[in-house]
Amino acid sequence: MHKFVILFFSIAWSVQLIAQQAEPVEPLVLALNWKPEPQFGGFYAAQVQDYYHEHNLDVKIIEGGSGTPTIQMLAAGKVDYAIVSADEVVIAHGRGATNILALFATFQTNPQAIMTHAERGFQSIDEVLDSSGVLLWQSGLPYTEYLKKKYAPIKVFTAPYLGGIGSFQNDASISQQCFITSEPLTAEAAGLKIKTFLVADSGYNPYTAVLVTSRERWEKRPAEVKGMVAAVRSGWINYLNSPEDTNSAMQALNKAMSVKTFSQSAQAQQALIKTGTTRRVGEMTTVRWQTLADQLLDLKIIRQQVSADNVFIDL
Amino acid sequence: MMVSAMRIWIADKLPAWIFLLGLLSIWQWVVVQKWVAAYLLPSPLQIFHTTQEMWPDILAATLSTAQSILWGLGLSLLIGVTSALLFFSIPIARRAILPFCIFFQTVPIIAIAPLLVIWFGYGQPTVNASAFIVSLFPILANTLTGLQETDPQLKELFRLYKPSRLQLIFKLQIPSAIPYIITGIKISAGLAVVGAIVGEFIAGGGLGSLIDAARTQQRVDLVFSGVFMSSALALSLIYTINLVSRLLFSRRPYLRKQ
Amino acid sequence: MPSIEVQQLEKSFSGTVQALFSGLSFSVDDHECLCLLGPSGCGKTTLLRLLMGLEKPSSGTVQMNPALSGKMSYVFQEPRLIPWRTCLENVLLPLELTSQNNPAARSRAIELLEKIGLNDRLEHFPDQLSGGMQMRVALARALITQPKIVLLDEPFAALDERTRFRMQDLLLELKARLDLQYIFVTHSIAEAVYISDRILLLDNTGMAKDIRSIKFSGRDQSLKLTPEFNAVVKEYSGLFSEMEDAIKVSDAAQSQ
Repeated sequence: MHKFVILFFSIAWSVQLIAQQAEPVEPLVLALNWKPEPQFGGFYAAQVQDYYHEHNLDVKIIEGGSGTPTIQMLAAGKVDYAIVSADEVVIAHGRGATNILALFATFQTNPQAIMTHAERGFQSIDEVLDSSGVLLWQSGLPYTEYLKKKYAPIKVFTAPYLGGIGSFQNDASISQQCFITSEPLTAEAAGLKIKTFLVADSGYNPYTAVLVTSRERWEKRPAEVKGMVAAVRSGWINYLNSPEDTNSAMQALNKAMSVKTFSQSAQAQQALIKTGTTRRVGEMTTVRWQTLADQLLDLKIIRQQVSADNVFIDL
Repeated sequence: MMVSAMRIWIADKLPAWIFLLGLLSIWQWVVVQKWVAAYLLPSPLQIFHTTQEMWPDILAATLSTAQSILWGLGLSLLIGVTSALLFFSIPIARRAILPFCIFFQTVPIIAIAPLLVIWFGYGQPTVNASAFIVSLFPILANTLTGLQETDPQLKELFRLYKPSRLQLIFKLQIPSAIPYIITGIKISAGLAVVGAIVGEFIAGGGLGSLIDAARTQQRVDLVFSGVFMSSALALSLIYTINLVSRLLFSRRPYLRKQ
Repeated sequence: MPSIEVQQLEKSFSGTVQALFSGLSFSVDDHECLCLLGPSGCGKTTLLRLLMGLEKPSSGTVQMNPALSGKMSYVFQEPRLIPWRTCLENVLLPLELTSQNNPAARSRAIELLEKIGLNDRLEHFPDQLSGGMQMRVALARALITQPKIVLLDEPFAALDERTRFRMQDLLLELKARLDLQYIFVTHSIAEAVYISDRILLLDNTGMAKDIRSIKFSGRDQSLKLTPEFNAVVKEYSGLFSEMEDAIKVSDAAQSQ
């Protein structure tokens, strides 16, 4: 008789466990602002290593491209989570979209850089801006406004950056904007001798590949949001240590980049994600956010004061 | 005498101004009433304020683009009229080369601009080339038509006196072609504005650069500012052409009076 | 020696079955004023153009007295003035084109324009002139090269009656003053009789009736009221109608 009771309860317990796990979890959409590349490694690692599922989350990652308006998509409720850069968050707040909340900042050092031909002998960004050649950059991006103001007047002729290293390759008088994890690798693979300068070193250093959601979501489902951040953090730690599996998964989605480039890029970005002073991957401070908000106000990119505390939450 | 001339001029321009004012008012009303989101369509007042605020930059950009337009248009005029004369005088040249000149008419500048950058470099040289390429064909085609449309009765008159080729061209055919050339220039002027700005999207500088940066920042008001300035450029160009042609040709009735 | 000698002239246009005329032969004497008269389509304008050299004959010859080479002028049915040139510049055009333009020529042109009564319109443009005035400028242009023969193609057809009479008298006056010879085309019998010494009547086969008109003692517009004049006109009108009827008959026969 006792055996039957124990058996019954064991079966009941197992069934309940299974039922709990089969409970339909609401699918969440995470929108990237570019194609699957090492800059999103941790987010994909969390998928590959099942960290999302461990936190009861069913996350679908959708990739983006040039000009994907991830912030608008989030604001419109089309996606649940998004990856944006920190200045976009502050600008959104400055324009009245105060519903955006930053949760996790992948890059502690912004990877935006200026790539030059080594033979030009530049020693710093202001030398580039003071030179007589051509600089290809995406005019209108906040960092360009920052550099234009800091090193005014600039002598170099600025022209639009349309992607790739084509023009740069053929003409030594040309410098161009880049992400330190991307174009310089391509240039070196093509045999060019280059010298790059981080924009962050000039004082403009917004967090990059920032995970954001709506404040509403945080207030309604704090457990879910916390779980998301935890999963993502674990994903990044995993990716920083052993990116190979995740790289294969991402490369399958983005055939345009070679396996070799994936691993080189992942290597190059490590120091920007976990700097000498980083204690927790993805951490954010009020000081950093407020500096950014003040800089954007000073550049008149936003018209009203934005307070850092409204913008992020460090989980 | 002067007063009545002024009155006639005002009466002629007044309907257009009233229409414009009406249009702007409706636009302002629509935005104020939030029937269209402000980030999609800024109000005329907002655009005006933005223009005022950014005026030094906008003016500098406009002047830079204007320079390129004048270069491109000037070159089109020179090469267009000369080529038309050539094609008119040497029929075999026309048959061989003219069909390919249509390339200038149909090529999308945005596709060949990167090539232009390689040949001419970033900045004004490419923008000038861009303005030239899009504005060449109307002048060439119209001038050629004008030369061919010479009144056959006048041609027969000339033939009575056995004129030389050059005499025929300069004393009859070119003066006959003047109304056509002017029409061609006016068409080319509008195209040159667009050609220059599109060239600037690739090669940098001027209004194109301003509009591109505004787009990146999602400053629709600034985009509109740039667009309005480019329209203003086109209008002042046409106005100048009208003025110059009146000054040059009003003394003699080259332009047929209907 | 005759001014012009026409031998076995034939002209047909490609695409038409019947020649405009064939086997046409006549000569024009020195100082003779000849008029080509006939119904429309009979080829009188074409004949005039053949005489000038504006068209080539299908066969036959047109020979001109060598002494008169380069001394023939042509006046078209329309004034054909260059719209962007002033009257004076229009008159000077032939000299410009033959490199004979010089200050002497210019004063000759002004004199000529004065003679025909346009000395106050030298700097005017054609669109500022009436039809008659434009025709006078065209005439002056034809005379600037100091021709001996002037060919005129229905020059006064588009003008009103009064202006037409004045132009006819102008022609006669210039003929006397400048010692000119005319060959002109008209479809007005009265005009032909008034101005010319000889009339060539053309029908649609080109066969001409050659009529030496009566020499009138004096010519002015009052002549047109004399019975003498009107008798001649009546006679030629009769001939003319005969020809027109013949044309109608042959046209009807052809369309059968």
